[in-house]
Amino acid sequence: MSANGTQVAEAVKDTIYRSCLLLDEKNWGDFFELCDQSFNYSIKAFSPEISYDMTYMSGSRKELKSMMEMLPKHNTDHSALKRHATVYTVDVDGKDATAVTSLVVYQNMVDGINSHIDSGESHLFLIGRYIDKFKIEDGNARLVEREVRLDTRRLDKGTHYLI
Amino acid sequence: MPARNHKQWTSPPSLKAGEWVDSRIYSDPDIFEEEQEKIFKKVWIPVCHESELPEPYDFRTVSIAREPIIVVRGPDNEVRAFLNVCPHRGMMIERRPAGSFAPAQPSGNPKHMTCMFHAWQFDMKGNCAYISREEEGYQDRIKKEDQGLRRLRSEVKFGGFVWVTLDDQNEHSVEEWADGSFECIREAIDTEPLQVFHYHKAIIGCNYKLWHDTNSEFYHDYMHYHNRVTGFNEEYFARKNVAFGNGHVNVNSFEVKYDEYEGFESRAELSFPGFPPNQWYMIDMFPGMNFNLRGSALRCDIMTPLGPDKVMIEFRGFGLKSDSAEDRQHRIEHHNSIWGPFGRNLHEDLIAVAGQGATMQTGSEPRRIQHGRHEDNFIHDEVGMRHFYEEWGKWMDRMPSDPMKKYMAAAE
Repeated sequence: MSANGTQVAEAVKDTIYRSCLLLDEKNWGDFFELCDQSFNYSIKAFSPEISYDMTYMSGSRKELKSMMEMLPKHNTDHSALKRHATVYTVDVDGKDATAVTSLVVYQNMVDGINSHIDSGESHLFLIGRYIDKFKIEDGNARLVEREVRLDTRRLDKGTHYLI
Repeated sequence: MPARNHKQWTSPPSLKAGEWVDSRIYSDPDIFEEEQEKIFKKVWIPVCHESELPEPYDFRTVSIAREPIIVVRGPDNEVRAFLNVCPHRGMMIERRPAGSFAPAQPSGNPKHMTCMFHAWQFDMKGNCAYISREEEGYQDRIKKEDQGLRRLRSEVKFGGFVWVTLDDQNEHSVEEWADGSFECIREAIDTEPLQVFHYHKAIIGCNYKLWHDTNSEFYHDYMHYHNRVTGFNEEYFARKNVAFGNGHVNVNSFEVKYDEYEGFESRAELSFPGFPPNQWYMIDMFPGMNFNLRGSALRCDIMTPLGPDKVMIEFRGFGLKSDSAEDRQHRIEHHNSIWGPFGRNLHEDLIAVAGQGATMQTGSEPRRIQHGRHEDNFIHDEVGMRHFYEEWGKWMDRMPSDPMKKYMAAAE
């Protein structure tokens, strides 16, 4: 990889890891600042049960922003999701880049069921990958597309939060 | 009344018998075991959809009341169901959730169900086709002709669902069992083939009946911001609950204003055949199945009780098999934005029943759970639950409001 390619790869990793921290903090606004106006997001999983490649959630930047802003109007499990991510590959092609990131998400419980018993408990919520596409501008990597590719299909109560 | 002391709290409510149940029906291990024997081993359960096994030799594995079941499509295109148990040593014959028997297996031939343990093989009609070293081991004492699988009654019915009963003596066909409850959506789901596009599971720490209760009452729409802004209008409050025989209920439709929720769109362009735009019918079948046709997508919940305070719910979403890729994507978005694991409503529903489960654990103080709303069967009337528990009492011969008493004796 060229010196420039290495710098772009570092910028891509920086955006991915920052996205995890911002999502962990439920800081939706700053997360969307990492995303291009054309950003599209989806959560997908292949089901061997029904032999079908499923889309569990999808939306544009505008649609997702609206959904997150309406969260206070919804009843929600406020237990935080904490992401452990490792960027496996970054491929740079001029002003575009793609990255594959291994993802493990834990749920740190607050009010999910009976807080007296389980608040503070952390458990595995899901496993999967981020498959991201980026636009490179001025040395910064902006998210253009994020596919969360899940292996987990037993999602119990689920969540209102972005993964 | 101010907050109550223990005596006041445990006194019978000012409601009639049948308008509440005792919370022990949601937590008692003996009642749970009895339900498995008296109800779940006797009724028809829709275990999967025919689109999950579209080709000859395709299979799907499921279970009812702890009994493992395999559903297969034969070369004659017939769907059949068997216990997924080898008659030899009781090994589960197939361990995968779905697949095809067309290719050879490590222990067996193509086009056969093979028990990997000792290589016994069965055809798609459940006949035993091969016993390894049959004559050497059994001489003429056991022959493969006598070692067929346990066949189960099955029907493909109501939009292509595969219904199975463990009870050979079940007096009903699926049509008779449904007792007309599907008529409201029959044209919509039976005009052309459906196809499953969504599947996920939830295991929740609550009794299965609590999920069925939630599906059976709409009063909890106060919990759903989405339903309040897209629903609460004169038409919504004119919806009626309709009771059918065998404990089933359906809920009449109205026009949902999907575009009243910011970012959501009308589903009118993608209605099912013969189904008016943006309508919403729901069918709740005893003892724990739900069919929910809302605008452009059909949802089906199938419950598998795992314990008195534990249930697995399988959620499926359906479109039309003839969908274009673009239409299918829209249906998926419509379905999952509300009912997916990251949707707006399902998460709220599951939080609620998990919270109920937390207050009704085995050994917790018996409490009265109210089903006493009467509104001439209109939408917030709790007649659906009352109808369910009337049926439950008969099957269990227990009084729902006092489950240690016999149903009839207590009714007197």
